[in-house]
Amino acid sequence: MKLFRTLATAASLTLAATIGMGTLVQNAQAQDKKFKIYLSLSYSGNAWQSEAANIVKALAQTPPYDKTVELKEVISGTDPQAQISAYESMIQAGADGIISFPISSTALNRTIHRGCQKGVLFFMYDATVTEPCAYNVSYITAGFGENTAQALVNILGGKGKIFLSRGVPGNSVDKRHTDGAMHIFNQYPGIKVVAEYYSFWDDRTTQQETAKALAAHPDVDGIWAQAGEYGAIQALLAKGNKLVPMTGENSDGFRLALADPKMQAMGLKGVSAGSPPATAGYAFKLMMETLTKKRELKPMNIEYPLPWVPADQVKLCKGDTFADGCNVFPASKVPSSFVTEVFNPQFLPELSLQSALEGKPTPGATIQPLPAEIKQAPDAPGINCSNCKAPAGEYKLTKIEATVKP
Amino acid sequence: MNAHRDIMTGLDATADERGSQKIDHDIVSALLVFGLSIALILCSRFISPALGSWDQVLTVLTLASFLVVLSFGQGLVILIGGLDLSIPALITLGGVLTTNWIGTGDFGVWYLLPVILVVCALVGAVSGVGVVWLKIPPFIMTMATSIVIASAALGYTNGTPRGGSPSALLWLMKERFLGVPVVIYFTIALVLLAWAIQSYTAMGRRLYALGTNREAARIAGVTVNRLELAPYAISAACAGFVGMMLVGYSNGATLRMGDSYMLPSIAAVVIGGSSILGGSGTFIGTVGGAILLTSLGTVISAIGLSAGWRTIIEGAIIVAALLVLRGELVVRLGNRLIAWKR
Repeated sequence: MKLFRTLATAASLTLAATIGMGTLVQNAQAQDKKFKIYLSLSYSGNAWQSEAANIVKALAQTPPYDKTVELKEVISGTDPQAQISAYESMIQAGADGIISFPISSTALNRTIHRGCQKGVLFFMYDATVTEPCAYNVSYITAGFGENTAQALVNILGGKGKIFLSRGVPGNSVDKRHTDGAMHIFNQYPGIKVVAEYYSFWDDRTTQQETAKALAAHPDVDGIWAQAGEYGAIQALLAKGNKLVPMTGENSDGFRLALADPKMQAMGLKGVSAGSPPATAGYAFKLMMETLTKKRELKPMNIEYPLPWVPADQVKLCKGDTFADGCNVFPASKVPSSFVTEVFNPQFLPELSLQSALEGKPTPGATIQPLPAEIKQAPDAPGINCSNCKAPAGEYKLTKIEATVKP
Repeated sequence: MNAHRDIMTGLDATADERGSQKIDHDIVSALLVFGLSIALILCSRFISPALGSWDQVLTVLTLASFLVVLSFGQGLVILIGGLDLSIPALITLGGVLTTNWIGTGDFGVWYLLPVILVVCALVGAVSGVGVVWLKIPPFIMTMATSIVIASAALGYTNGTPRGGSPSALLWLMKERFLGVPVVIYFTIALVLLAWAIQSYTAMGRRLYALGTNREAARIAGVTVNRLELAPYAISAACAGFVGMMLVGYSNGATLRMGDSYMLPSIAAVVIGGSSILGGSGTFIGTVGGAILLTSLGTVISAIGLSAGWRTIIEGAIIVAALLVLRGELVVRLGNRLIAWKR
């Protein structure tokens, strides 16, 4: 009986304490109205993912957001179930907004839909979802595949043996890029794809897979690569003193190589384009402007411009930002796998190198408003919408013209 | 003390008929794996005329060197009936520490490289302590170590490992001597040393005894607990060293650099003729397994089929190779070898 009474007292005390604390928390929220924002990563560990997350963290600590935003980061791993349960917990915890790199374009839809009904804003960066109540902010529809393919065809004069170094098998982004590229390559009978391999957007895998392909085809004339492109250069260098024309994404190593007279003399030509981590910062600022009612924005697909840097436009940065049109950092400052496109002078003037590398705000910087105009992305079935049709001229060239007739 | 020593020599294989017979079978299966790799490379000429060349052999051996070093450690852990799942994390640890502590400036390279290997070995020893004294299954213990180390590396680097490769590692992975990459000479030397350790030293023989029957080994006077730590520490040091090799190979570290080596490190050991339950197998067989797996990957990637089909064929060939190596063929060839010796 005594035990029962003790237990009952303990239980009522706990209950009272919980209620009391709950009221306190509510009061605190009412006073300074901090926005509860969650940053949901599917996986971490490659340079791109960390830079994107660091940019968001840096912006969330830049005044005035340092006072008004409470940012929590959750890394859930590579399987969709884990990210679904992460989203569920965030919705339960009363999130105002979730900014996320989604691991799947379809698997998360039901959870996102439920979150939207509870008033949570979902902003996806780089990768996208087909759920219409989410905002997708991405460069995917900006034509990476077809534009880089045409650039390679132009350099090769419309004929030659090439490798395709692809991304992650079964991924919708890899498919969109490769479809765009093949749309161009198929128009040129002189272009022969002699090896096609998956490099998982990783330098090391690209290097090993390219080395294997080179064993069978030492006479390759060009390489079309997605992220990890610097590995392909390393594989060619390990083989001998010959490089070939190449297109790839935005790694610092690749850009430095494109501009290096020694590498050019060995045969390297090409263009650097592809996925910019800066998208995450743009998405975060859009979300905050929507949350703070500075911008009226219905859920939609927003296109981030495709970075496009041919060899002759590579320019070394002297400081820690993209000033005076520079677009690559010296090897002493960042590793070769560092993805250079972390800045955008127009959208993200608040950031510096420390923001991308360590998630720290730039001293003295304050959040600047985004340009009012945003670009709506075209429909891409299975990527940013379901039950929709791609517009005519889906693979229209935007960055380059064909200099060689098919 | 003398009695103790006598018991130890009793474990020596030369005095044991059954032991020598078993080793002969192991050598036959190792020879078969090597034969299979050579046949595979020669046959690959039919796929692409550039294949089957000396150049391809060098590519295969360079790519296989990572797996060879890894599977020495993994093989020792499997030999005593364990399994090391922390290999990818320790590759990353070795790589990240090398680029962060030493980097392109070659700062203290001659003492820091060994220090990093010791750090990795200590991490492996912690796994060993968990397995031996806390009786945690190796599978779980090494997985836990792996998660802790991978997360520590993520926190330490903020996600972006900085720095590049020290010039010594670039030299190891990129230079050639008489037309052959330096790393191949290095790997051959390492293989001979490792083979000698595993097959001909007292420690090696005790590990076989431990893997065959722990209780029997204990009664025979082997200090089982301390001995069981060694494979985990060696495996971790091997993984750390592969991290360094990968840094030299691609001039930098990433947090996911070890991911693709987990299953191949186990597969190489099993294809090389070791039992996954421990107690049998030779390192030379494992080396053959590593080379077979790598040459298979090279040849398969040259086939003009879609990625799905290529992986299916690769899987089928691995299973077929295992069946051939395990079957009657090995036993019969082995018996003939023994008869011929007598």
